[in-house]
Amino acid sequence: MADHSSSRPQHQSPAHRDMMFCHECQDEWYRDQHGLTCPECGSDFTEIIEDDNDPRDHHLQDHGESDDGTDSLPGLEEVPPYQDLVHTPWLDSVQNENRAQNNDPEEGDISNLQWRQVGPGRFAVTGTMYRTVSPHDLSGGGGGGRGGGLDTGPIGGFAAMLNSIIGGARLHQDVEGQDPNSQHQHTHAPQNTGSGTTADGHRFTYTAGARLYPRDANHPGPQIEPLDELNNVLVGLMAAFGEGPGGNHPHAHHHNVHAHSGPDDDGSARGTPLSPLMALFSQVMAGNGQIGDAVYSQEALDRIISQLMEQNSTSNAPGPASQADIDSLPRKLVTNEMLGSEGKAECSICMDEVQIGEEVTELPCHHWFHHTCVSAWLAEHDTCPHCRKGITQRPDASNHAGSSNDRSTGNPSAAADSMQSPNPPMPGSFEVSGSEPSGNAMEDNDPSAYRLQNTDQTRPQESRPSDSSSGGIGGILRRGLFGPQN
Amino acid sequence: MSTGAKKRIMKEYAECAADTPAGMKIIFDEQNMTKWEVLLDGPDQSIYAGGHFKLEITFPNEYPFKPPVVSFKTKIYHPNVSNDDKGSMCLGLLRPDEWKPPNKVVSVLRLIQTLLIEPDIDDSIEPSIANEYKENRKEFDKNAKDWVKRYAK
Repeated sequence: MADHSSSRPQHQSPAHRDMMFCHECQDEWYRDQHGLTCPECGSDFTEIIEDDNDPRDHHLQDHGESDDGTDSLPGLEEVPPYQDLVHTPWLDSVQNENRAQNNDPEEGDISNLQWRQVGPGRFAVTGTMYRTVSPHDLSGGGGGGRGGGLDTGPIGGFAAMLNSIIGGARLHQDVEGQDPNSQHQHTHAPQNTGSGTTADGHRFTYTAGARLYPRDANHPGPQIEPLDELNNVLVGLMAAFGEGPGGNHPHAHHHNVHAHSGPDDDGSARGTPLSPLMALFSQVMAGNGQIGDAVYSQEALDRIISQLMEQNSTSNAPGPASQADIDSLPRKLVTNEMLGSEGKAECSICMDEVQIGEEVTELPCHHWFHHTCVSAWLAEHDTCPHCRKGITQRPDASNHAGSSNDRSTGNPSAAADSMQSPNPPMPGSFEVSGSEPSGNAMEDNDPSAYRLQNTDQTRPQESRPSDSSSGGIGGILRRGLFGPQN
Repeated sequence: MSTGAKKRIMKEYAECAADTPAGMKIIFDEQNMTKWEVLLDGPDQSIYAGGHFKLEITFPNEYPFKPPVVSFKTKIYHPNVSNDDKGSMCLGLLRPDEWKPPNKVVSVLRLIQTLLIEPDIDDSIEPSIANEYKENRKEFDKNAKDWVKRYAK
């Protein structure tokens, strides 16, 4: 709290020049500059300001912050020490009302209205508004740290805003209770005791006041004090967001009070971390326009879309085959029958020629490859590199095993049949370049058709899922009847 | 890049060199075998006849498990070639999800030749050019020939 050792504010300039005051427009000027007539409105209704006769309100000095008399912002908290002049016609009745802990800042909350004459023809009305903030709301801010601060933030922000709007008001939290050393507290003693400011830290006292200016003798009306500077409002709001006004921070109220008491006070900035709101703003401004799952710029949206497209570019293709499925693929040795009419065959992945007796891995579709070659592919796609039939049997594992066995027994007959066919089966292999007539070499010729046609007869007991797209009985029949696809 | 992939590229080049499809020339650099330069003549029966197009075929490290990347270095007015400085082509067996290891570069080259004769309108990368091809074939032919004169001579 500010120092209030001086009970009488100093209004006069250090040079002791006579100050003039205009009752019409409240203008002030030096007498030796503009004389006795108001330079602003030309009124004669003026007065010399003297130490013992100040036509202005006596609260002009704000807690002694400035002693040079240039600060014209009145400090409403300051009740003039004219206790003998205090005239409080409604004091008793209103004080009773404020017992009701009303959360709505209605008239009933504005209590302790004090109406006092502060000079000839001049009155000051001070009122105190009592707000009770429930401990539940406040402890949210205290317990949850910054996260909790966000919860109570709106309340605090509202409080700060309300406080500012009320005008030059002072947010006062009596955590320490009454401070007997404070002149301010002394002068407010009747009000503050009435407010029941307990030391539990959950009560706030918003003190606000209004003055009556004798602007128009016929229509005296309260003049609302000027609003806090926008800056102060924002500072208060930010501080409120940063830490709940009633948080467990014992100095929280100091920050708030300081934020409102004057722009020269850095209390609000000191030790207060960047509020989440600030962090939010800075993220939006300086960041990549992306917060969590939300984006705030076209650029960021484009980035995400292209990311998704990249991730899903091969979404049509089946996923990888399991390592167990790959490992369980049957191996077989290259036989003379597996070579083409020219006596040559190659692994179509590495294009290396295979020799008779070399071990290759055969897929359920009977295309064969080097094991290392095909497993590299299967680890990425569960398809035959040649015909795209999956190696993973969908229904259950027994079918898989059964078909594997069948395949090994079915091979000789298939090979025998293939001797008569014009185009010998070379699963997984391709004709040497040059023998291909034209067009898309790889796509035109699917030797598996012959194999499937033949092997189909050798294992009638096999019950495969009739998945026409990936082979199965439908595919087998179709290929057998209508020839190679692809 | 694995030695297997390199071996395969070498083999493919050997095949291509032994039997290069008509109307193209492959420039192969053994130091950088993953990037082939192909000089492609506009097929005689196409509107691109008389033009000479430079293509770049880039093999990914995962080749042959991933498709090679084809781009036209010479600007070409074609529905299936992107009308930008990349000149990229992505259709048919060049698509990542349609590519399979047994496919070979030579089939890619043949596909490109085929597309110069007959664009694949349903799989276009430049919808406006594809639309023009469909709706206003005269205008398309004129533009394509114009580009050949301007860029592909």
